[in-house]
This record gives sequence, structure tokens and C-alpha cells, in this order.
Amino acid sequence: MSTADTTLEGPSGDATPRWRQTLSLLAKNRLASAGAVVLIVLVLAAVFGPSLVPYGVNEQDIASRLNGPSGAHWFGTDDLGRDVFSRVLLGARVSLQVGVIAVGISLVAGTAIGLAAGYRGGWLDAVLMRLMDVLFSFPVILLAIAIVAVLEPSLFTLQLAIAVVFTPIHARVVRGSVLSVREDVHIQAVRALGASDLRIVAKHVLPNVAAPVIVQASLSLAFAILTEAALSYLGIGVQPPRAAWGADLQASQGFLASGSWWMAVFPGLAILVTVMAFNLLGDGLRDVLDPKQRSVIESRGVT
Amino acid sequence: MTGFVLRRIGQALIALFGVSVVVFALVHLVPGDPIRAALGTRFDPEIYQVLLERSGLDQPLGVQFFDWLGRALTGDLGVSFRSGRAVTTELGDRLPATLLLAGGSLLVGLIIAIPAGIISAVRQGKPVDYAASTFAQVGVSVPDFWFGILLILLFSRTLGWLPPGGYVSLTEDPVEALQRLLLPAVTAGVVTGSILTRFVRSSVLEAMQADHVRLARAKGMPERYVLRHHVLRNAWIPVVTITGLQLATLLGGIVVVEVVFSWPGIGRLALDAVYGRDYPVLQGSVLVIAAGFLLINLLVDLLYGRLDPRIRS
Amino acid sequence: MRLRHRSTLTVVSLLALVATACGGGGGEDVDLGDSADPGAEDGADGGSDAEGGTLVAAIGGEPDQLDPHVTTSGFTFRVMENVYDTLVQPNDELEMEPALATEWETSDDLLTWTFQLREGVTFHDGSEFDAEDVVASLERIAEEGQNSFRLEAVEDFEASGDLEVTMTLSRPAPNLLAQLGAFKGMAIVSADDIESGDLNESPNGTGPFAFEGQSGGDSITLTANDDYWGEEGPHLDGIEFRIIPEETVKLTNLETGEVDWIDTVPPQNVAGLSGGDLTVESVPSNDYWYAAFNIEREPFDDPEVRRAIRQAVDIDAITEAARFDAATPNQTAIPESSVWYHEYAPFETDVDAAQTALDEAGVSGLSIDLMVTSEFPETITAAEVIASQLDEVGIDVQIRTEDFNTWLADQGEGEFDAFILGWLGNIDPDDFYYAQHHSEGVNNFHGFVDEEVDQLLDDGRQETDEDARKELYDQAAERIVDQVSYLYLYNPDLVQAWSSEVSGYSPRPDQATRFVTTRLG
Repeated sequence: MSTADTTLEGPSGDATPRWRQTLSLLAKNRLASAGAVVLIVLVLAAVFGPSLVPYGVNEQDIASRLNGPSGAHWFGTDDLGRDVFSRVLLGARVSLQVGVIAVGISLVAGTAIGLAAGYRGGWLDAVLMRLMDVLFSFPVILLAIAIVAVLEPSLFTLQLAIAVVFTPIHARVVRGSVLSVREDVHIQAVRALGASDLRIVAKHVLPNVAAPVIVQASLSLAFAILTEAALSYLGIGVQPPRAAWGADLQASQGFLASGSWWMAVFPGLAILVTVMAFNLLGDGLRDVLDPKQRSVIESRGVT
Repeated sequence: MTGFVLRRIGQALIALFGVSVVVFALVHLVPGDPIRAALGTRFDPEIYQVLLERSGLDQPLGVQFFDWLGRALTGDLGVSFRSGRAVTTELGDRLPATLLLAGGSLLVGLIIAIPAGIISAVRQGKPVDYAASTFAQVGVSVPDFWFGILLILLFSRTLGWLPPGGYVSLTEDPVEALQRLLLPAVTAGVVTGSILTRFVRSSVLEAMQADHVRLARAKGMPERYVLRHHVLRNAWIPVVTITGLQLATLLGGIVVVEVVFSWPGIGRLALDAVYGRDYPVLQGSVLVIAAGFLLINLLVDLLYGRLDPRIRS
Repeated sequence: MRLRHRSTLTVVSLLALVATACGGGGGEDVDLGDSADPGAEDGADGGSDAEGGTLVAAIGGEPDQLDPHVTTSGFTFRVMENVYDTLVQPNDELEMEPALATEWETSDDLLTWTFQLREGVTFHDGSEFDAEDVVASLERIAEEGQNSFRLEAVEDFEASGDLEVTMTLSRPAPNLLAQLGAFKGMAIVSADDIESGDLNESPNGTGPFAFEGQSGGDSITLTANDDYWGEEGPHLDGIEFRIIPEETVKLTNLETGEVDWIDTVPPQNVAGLSGGDLTVESVPSNDYWYAAFNIEREPFDDPEVRRAIRQAVDIDAITEAARFDAATPNQTAIPESSVWYHEYAPFETDVDAAQTALDEAGVSGLSIDLMVTSEFPETITAAEVIASQLDEVGIDVQIRTEDFNTWLADQGEGEFDAFILGWLGNIDPDDFYYAQHHSEGVNNFHGFVDEEVDQLLDDGRQETDEDARKELYDQAAERIVDQVSYLYLYNPDLVQAWSSEVSGYSPRPDQATRFVTTRLG
């Protein structure tokens, strides 16, 4: 949460920095804390996974393939005798990486567009926001599919596609916040003192829109990971033999009829837990930072 | 009122125009030659020439766009590279399956959300409220394709109660059609239901705070009567809105569910078009889905404007 | 899509036929006798009256086109196999038997073939079948279809009578019959339909079932053709083909009785399906799967490097991983079940020897870009196993999974170090080797050039003595294997399953799905 301090240092100049207040408030929200703990574990798993896992992700053992969960293989083995537990653990890497990069790109692009539109207003606002409307009227998965189809499928394309899909959401949130602070007394005062637009935006507008942006980013991460999993499941995201939850689910589907439920259950559970952790954290952040904003569930209702 | 309607329609048309630009641009962003890519090793100079002329890709970009748009407006979306059939025919074939699944999913969502939302609002803070919000939280976090796989594992493979999808048209055999619809509709409906539950709950809560409700209660009217005649009457307006938006989302967003259940909808058509580099079909299906999305949004807004005059201003 | 890889179907026995025709001093009639299926029960009804039920058959994908001359989809042929006929057709032993042609003769110089056509055959729309339809169909195939290569040896088609067609060849073609009856891509359609362009929207054939309609992306229905010319069948009232891409859904539908028959059983499910009420039958197919290396790139241009890689690979393990028990590892292309099989297995897996050979060739730190396609998941599995095997000799394999069209485009443009794929439905040895390994071969995407192989394959195309011809192909096969033009992996079994209600059907090595003698109940 390193961004929190720059964002929340308002003009108020409290004795305790606001980010500490935020954290302590957040810690009181049990669900949000649980989400945060899960995410920390996931990040650790992604970082230190290769030295933690009992087997290599692509270590094959045809002789013991399609074995159910056991002491040797907690989550069973897949059709090549690879350890499902190891693959699920390391699958966190891809999901988190794609999620963070995709949301990062859309955050930067969306914030820039939202700031420009909201602060400038006028025709620029109209053009940019109609453009966002257009992107918004495509179903998320379908737009991502089309983008991947047009470009060569790769991890980068996947991230880019998800970023494009999420940009309008961030742009709208930022623009809305900018509109609400633009006419603030203190910003008008600064403007009257002759500050440049750039300075006003950087020093005064941006800090004020940071809270909703952080909340939105957390919720977007959840949705981005779901989208990545869906695209990988459809075979146009992360490619085998790389360990990725969506791709492993796709591979598992051929083995359901022969009873290998563990191949499907565990990667899916990993997605569910991760997405839920981001959602809970996002809702918690919202309660603390920006209570007016919609909850995760509501924000999905209108996308 | 007329001003609002016209303005809203105008916005929708502008968005639709933008959508068509994007859809058109998609194909022209394909690196290299899309027809060559589409043909792959089937490449044959004669077929190539025919497709090239038919697609007009040898024309200047602007000409191509307005040509394509003009034909799209008259209902001609071109011919599939793959099947040689008109794209509109392909779409028409798939539309019933898509509508059935979207409608079924929405129904499942409402069947879950209306009781769950009302009860959790009325019993705010009670265990049932927590149960409902936990359900909603899990519902929006679960990957729908995984949930579908689990349903197949449980209800089709283990218990053998229900067919694991595969589409039969309503006119052919209504009973079987509905049986086959059940698992895919539940899969997509649970996500929808979770979202709707939260909205139903909050709009009921809001309505319960309204002055006339408090007044009615103060007058000593029975709680059940108050709920039915004062609360729900006002609570349903935002719910209608969000339901409409959910339908729009469902129409285009259930590609993955269609794949899991071998459901021949427009989403899968688009996906197959991607795999097969069938650009006319890809353009057509994305355009139709996006247009449907815009249309439903427009209708919802207009309806909302009628129901709640405040937002027209 | 499969059909694109069904290279050429050809037949075995026609050599014998040609030889007989030759030996007879020309002009001797060749008649293979009636076309009744020997496997079918001899029902009292015998005739072509339909007596029972609609078979619900599940196929794994949607046909792209219904026009048999244009389509590239194997799924189209699962359906159209039952709608169309060819001049001759492969019987259960893959020998060509009469179909729309009842007998034929060849001239002394082997350059003129005359076919007598069956009398009293009508198309499903009621119109008469005659020589004009045959000429129009074959000319259409020769001119524009992707099967034109099958008729490459034919210079001219002529309707020399109402029910007689004469073909003039530019060179002797020992496998002409095999090409004419290869599969329903060589279908005889009505000349009127060619003219009106109705072939895609409303197929109209002479086969045991007539096209009734399709509901988009979902199902295709056929009804029995009561005027079918064959000795037996159809017994069914009709067939409904349901399109179910997802394997689990398809299998479950069979188990719960929603469908009566499914087109493929994934190998991992064979064990689980057998033993219940269902019939699961498998037949060794004529398909083969292989890996190929881009010989136009270093270091794969060096045969020693290719041989070293071959030694490092264990095809038994790959077969086991990708196909469970439903395949036979093979170091050559042609399966043991074929009369063209040549037993030749020079390689044994030897990691140390492979390492030494790579060192000697000066190869170290090699990274291979291996291209596979999600269209055929077994290529991904095979690639994953190969990757781990080659890791042992210090080769880093980067697997690139693509959708099939992209894959094909990259293959065509040589954008790969190596790829894995299969060729399906071959019958004649020419189909197994020529297009793939001749320096002029249309499917020689990996750039294999070898004068000896070229010569052998060219000779094989014209050699009319069967033993001599087999000898040529045996030599070619050995050379191809030694040079590791293809790194052959295995011949898969075709496994299909149906409910206990279904009788009179069995899977065929050429994958043709014929329901003419099938009964329900």
C-alpha cells in the first residue's frame, strides 16, 4: 500500500498520517483482513513457490498419472503424472502477474483519460467519454477474445487485452471524482493564485481521486484474474505447459468422465479463493476510503 | 420527456457508430493480409481473388468502411469465409439458443435474488442476511466455467439426474429443451443472482427508510401489508434497471458457459470465428452483440425515465 | 478440419485389379461382385425399406460447409458419408468395390479407363443419375476442389454413353480407383445442382439417407432414402446428428441415453466406458502422428542431429502419455494392419548415444521452437513429453500452442523449428509418402529433399506390379526413417461407442461412418 501515503496526505495535516488510520480501520474489518492475509500468502507462494513445491511443475511421471489426492500428492496428479498441488501453487504466479500488469496498464491509461476528460471538460470530455462508452458496450470476454485474435496470442497480448477492457472503468471512476473536486474551494483558490494546470492536477486533483482509484484497482484485480482464467480456459490465454489455473482447468475437462475430479476442483478453488480475497479487500478498502462508491457486487452489476 | 428520449437515442446511435468503427477496425488491425491468414494453407490464388473482391479489401479504407456500414444497415453482414453462408443466416440460427440461455439464466437469477434480497433486507443483520451476503460474495467470485464443470460432475456424472447441456430447441421438444437448459442456466444464473440479490436488498432497505413507509408503520398497519404495498412497490424500479443491464451482460457474456455446455449460441459462433479466422462472422457477431447491449441499455434508460421522472432532468 | 489432413485415401486391391485387367489382354471386365455388407445380419426384409427409428448420433464439431467438394471439415463427412456415393467405395478391408460404377475396364496401355454406371439410380430429389452427373462432378473436383490432385493423372472425362464414362489418362495410374473412391470428397453430385449452386444449402445425393435439414450449430437431420440402390438398408427411418464439441458432455449424453452413438471416445475414457450397457469398439486406424523438424534451418539440416534427437526420444512413452492404450507406437507411417506395412524399427532410445552424437555435431545449448495446436490436444501432450525427454540431452523445447488456422499459416510459411501433427485416413502408400517427402510434394512443409526418395516415390506412382510397387515403397520408407524426415510417433486406434440398442455398425480404419446397415432396438 505504498501509494496510500502520497494519495491520502490531504491538506488537513493530521498528527497521525492518514494511511495509518486507514490501515488500522482496515484491520478492524475481519473480512478485509482475511482477504489481505490470503493475498499475502499468495504473493509469497508466487515469489518463493519454486523452492517450496514438492515437485517441479513439469516433472512428469507417467507411471503414477491420474492418481487421486494422497500423502505423496496432496491434490493428486494430472494426465502426465505432474503434481497438481505444485501446479496450483505456482499457478498463482501467472494469475497475479497478468492481473497486476493488466490492471496496472488500465489504471495508468484510465487515470490519464479520466483526468483529462474531467479536468478539461468540453469537447475533449465528450470525445473521450464517448470512446469509453464504445469500449464499454462490448462484452468483456468477447472484446478480449477479439483483441487476442487480432494480435498474436501471447502473455503480453493477454495482458493488453484485459487492460483495454478495464480502461473505461477506471476512466469513468476518475472522471467522476475529478468532476466532484474540480470546483472545490481550495482548488479554485490555488487556480486563482496562478498555478499551472499540470501542477493543480498533480498536487491537488490527483490526491483527491486516489481513494476511489485504489478501491477500484483492487476490485478490478479480482475481475481481471477471472477474465484471465476464462481466456486461458478458452485456450487463448496462457499456454501449456506453463502452470496456469485456467489452462489447467481446460486440460482437466477431458478427464472428468474418467473420474479425475481433483484436476478440476483444485485449480478452480484457487481461482475462487484469490478472486474472493481481492473482492473482500476491495470492499473493505471501499468502506474505509470511499464509502460512497459501489461495492464489488454492485459494480459488476453495471458493467 | 421527448428531449430526454431523443438525447438518449442520439447517444446510443453515436455509441453504435463507434462500435461499428471498432468492429471494422479489428479486422484491419490484423497484421498482414486477413484473407491470406484466413485461408492458411488452403491458399489458392483464385479463391483468394474472389474473397478479396467480395470483401472489398482492395478498396481504400474509408470506402471500405462506409461500404461495409451501408451494407450492414441493410442487413447484409457479408458471407462467412468458412461456411459460405450469409453471416445473418448464421447469426439467425444461433439467436434462439442465445436468447433461451440468457432468458433462462436471468430467470434463475431472479428466482434466487428476489426472495433472498427481500428476506435479507427485512431481517437485516440477522443470520439469514449474512448467509445471503456470503452467497453473493462467493457468487461473484466463482469462475462460471468452473462452477459449470462442478455441476456437470455432480448432477450429470455422479447423480445422473440431469443432462450436461447440449441444446434442443423449445419448439422441437419443450420438456427436453428445459431439462437441458437447467444446468447452463443455473451456472450463469448464480452469478447474475448474486449481483441482483445485493441490489434487491439495498433497494428494499432504501424503500423501507422512505417517509411514507414509516408513516404507514406508525399508523399501525401490519408489517406484511406495509412491505407489500409500500416497500416493494417502490423498490422494484431500480431492480428492473439492473435486471435489464444483467440481461444485456448475459447476452454477450456467456461465451464460456456456452463452451462448457456445448451450447450453440452467438458467443460460441464468435469464438469459433476467432479460431477459424472467419472475419465476417467475427465482425457480425460482435456487432450484433454490442448493438443488443446498447439497445437494452437504451430501453432500460427510457423505461427508467418513465418510471422515475426525476432522472430525466 | 480433420479432412485437411486426411491426405489421400487410396486402395490396396486395385493393383490386383489392374494387374488382372492387364493380364487379360485388355478389355477384360472387372467386377467385384455385389456390394452387400458381409457383416450385416440377413434380415428377412432384405430390401431398402426403413423399419425402425431415428438414430441420434453425436459428432464433435460443426461441419463448415455441406458441399462435399469444397469442405475441409471431417465433421461434414461424418454426415455426408451417408448422403453421397462415389464411383467405387472401400469395403471393410479397404478394397475398392463397385458403388455407382458397377464394372470397369482398362485399355492395354493403361491410359483409357471405361466405367459402366449403375442403372436406375436416382438422386434424392427424384432426378435420374447418369454419366453427365459423373463427368460434371469429377470435372468440378479436378478443377477447383482441394482433391484435384487425386485426378491429376486424368486428362479427360467423357460421357461415352448414358451410363458409361471414359477417362483418358496422361500416365498409368495404378491407384486411380483408390483415388476415385477415397472418401466422400469424391462424391458424385447432380450436374443440375452444380449449375444452380445449391450444393451447400441443400445436399442432394444418391446415398442411403437424404438430407432433410439443419438447425444452426446444433443438429443435422437425414431421412431414409427408400429408393436406395444398395442391396441392404437403410433400416433406420433417419439419423439426427447432434453437434456436441465438449467431450464430457458427449460421453455423458451417451451414458444417459440422450444419444445412441458417438463419433470418438477419448483414449482416457475407453476403460471407464467399457463394461456397461454400451458397446465400445476400436479399430487400428490408418492415421499416423509425427514430429517434423525444419530442415531449412540449422542445425536440423544435419541428418546426424535429427538422428540424435530421434535417439533421445522415447516414442513408447509419448504414445502411452498421449493415447493411453489406444495407439501403437510405430517408427514408420504405415500401420501393421495394412498390407503395405513394412516392419522397420532401426532406432532405440539411447540418451547417452544421443548426447555423444549431438556433441560430435557441435550442437550445444539448442532451443527448439515446437509448434502444436489446441485443435488436437494430443499434440500438446506429446510435445510436453518430448520436451521433458529432450531436456535430458540439454535441448530446451519451447512449446508454442496455436489455434489451427494460425498453425497452418505458420506451417505454410515455415515459421517453426519443429511441429507435431497427424495425417488421417490414408490408404495407398503414395498417400503416406509422396506429398510429404517428395521434394516437389505439396505438403513437404519441412523442406525434406532427397534424390533417392524422390526417385523411389516417382517410380511407385507408375509401377503396376504390386510386389514391385511394395518393394519401392519399403525402400522409400527406410530411407525416410533413416533420414528422420518425419519422426514417426504412433498409429492411433479409432474408438467409437454406441448404446446396446444399436446393431449393424462398426468403426472403420478409414474413419468412414456408414449407417446404411445399422439398426435400432
